[in-house]
Amino acid sequence: MHPILKSRSGLIAYLAAWIPLGVLFAFVICVAGHLSAMQALVFTVPLTIVMACVCLSAWFVCRSLPLRKTPFGKLIVHHVLAAMLASTVVVVMMNLLVMGMGRFVPPVQYWFHSAVPVLAVMVFLVFLLSVALHYVLLALESSQQAEVLSREAELKALKAQINPHFLFNSLNSISALTSVDPARAREMCVRLSDFLRNSLRLGERASVPFSEELALTRTYLDVEQVRFGQRLRIKQDLEPACNACEVPPLLVQPLVENAIKHGIATLTEGGEIELIARRYRDSLRITVENPFDPDAPATRKTGFGLVNVRNRLQARYGAAGKLDIEVQRDRYRVVLSFPYSEVREKSRKR
Amino acid sequence: MKIRTIIVDDEELARQIVREYLATEEDVEIVTECSNGFDAVKATNEEKPDLLFLDVQMPKLDGFEVLELISEDVAVVFVTAYDQYAMKAFEAAALDYLLKPFDQARFRTALERARRRISERVRTVSASELKNAAKAPGQYAQRIVVKDGTRVHIIPAEQLEYAEAQDDYVALHSGGKSYLKQQTITSLAEALDPARFVRVHRSFLVNLERVTKIEPYTRDTRLAILTSGAQIPVSRTGFVRLKELMDKA
Repeated sequence: MHPILKSRSGLIAYLAAWIPLGVLFAFVICVAGHLSAMQALVFTVPLTIVMACVCLSAWFVCRSLPLRKTPFGKLIVHHVLAAMLASTVVVVMMNLLVMGMGRFVPPVQYWFHSAVPVLAVMVFLVFLLSVALHYVLLALESSQQAEVLSREAELKALKAQINPHFLFNSLNSISALTSVDPARAREMCVRLSDFLRNSLRLGERASVPFSEELALTRTYLDVEQVRFGQRLRIKQDLEPACNACEVPPLLVQPLVENAIKHGIATLTEGGEIELIARRYRDSLRITVENPFDPDAPATRKTGFGLVNVRNRLQARYGAAGKLDIEVQRDRYRVVLSFPYSEVREKSRKR
Repeated sequence: MKIRTIIVDDEELARQIVREYLATEEDVEIVTECSNGFDAVKATNEEKPDLLFLDVQMPKLDGFEVLELISEDVAVVFVTAYDQYAMKAFEAAALDYLLKPFDQARFRTALERARRRISERVRTVSASELKNAAKAPGQYAQRIVVKDGTRVHIIPAEQLEYAEAQDDYVALHSGGKSYLKQQTITSLAEALDPARFVRVHRSFLVNLERVTKIEPYTRDTRLAILTSGAQIPVSRTGFVRLKELMDKA
């Protein structure tokens, strides 16, 4: 749907913008055609309306020729041709109109013929102006779309966040501990609550400092540690310089969850998850590495969490946000990299 | 006589809870505990237990694969966290399953059913059918498990060259070797990706990627020549299926 025609207010604003242009036409016609103001108006009102309609068609041309993906030469040729076509259409329609009017106001017809070149050039230029306007509209629209996409991706991430499998398995561990080690059962209840509360709290925000995301990840690991015991080992190498970087919430935790589900849980003896964070001049790089069993039974929904993280990174940072997966025999490595940004204000809620 | 039982779960705490609930059951004896699918198959074949508490998601082999590889006389109670497809499969098979976490009353109900099944010595469901029912729509087996004496072979689906029906068994040909598995060729064909494996004949299932050429044989039949040189009979309807897939590729 044409962005201007989508809402009534858009259409009104567009038509209102044509009033000064119409006045300008009238002025040119007055001066060039030696007509009275009244006569010029009779001619200008239909001309303005026809042009307002014809210029809307620029949208279709712009949409089929995306600014960045079309070669410059092709762009010029197509728009010039479209503008010429538009100006021909306007001139022909005006000609018909003038022929009708000529019966009542003969000088109009006489004037029109001498003014055809001026009119044609004018329409040509105004159409090109409209092309520029439509490119601006298209850019606005796509940025709005990106916003919606990123919000959607984040919502989806949050819904997927509290994985029922994780929850039920944790509750089962608590149930087992209540009789053999009540103190640890209680401790695990508290850890699990901490994790749930914090993931809900962080999930509401547009971005959080990396240190908070890390704290959430650690709470998650604390809970899983009870479940897996000695099978789950953690090695961390985190540069303090990363702490203040603003990241989308729930960015690292899903990677660790993935490392456990598809890595540690597939190994009888378990293994070590390595978490590395490095700050570069203007970017951050997070690596999560884990061993896995290449012969493990294929688990369902493999890498669902990773796709989600990748979508969110791309929605937020575009091409600068990357998630790379490297698999070497029995080691799985996920590398995130994205621009470093620090926000001065304490909270930047959406 | 006591009910000889094996607990299979990769999480120590999950085994602990089953052990605890069983402690008050006079007629149950825990033979051993296993923390992965391989050990479970091995222990079951050696110990010949009456009852298995079996987790679904485990290292090495998952619960369904274990079920495929053990004797049909063992009563099995699945123990699992949330898994919608697994649950659907159990419901369809009227087999008992415990959803983690579970209380002792629910556990006793499952145990009671197992007792009845053990005394009646019946197993109502075929493991491979159960496994087919447990897969998510559009998901096909990535591998096939076969028991060979005490050893377990895992054949990745892409390495399966062809399968041949032999009465109640299928002979799986892969890497110049052949493995016998107790399964019908129809249920094997259902488990595998139909875009990759074609039933070229009533008794033959072929990996499309291994077919090098097709030669005429008799008036109505043809022969498919595989990369390994094996010659597989292709029936008339089999040829239609084969051609359809090859045209798509």
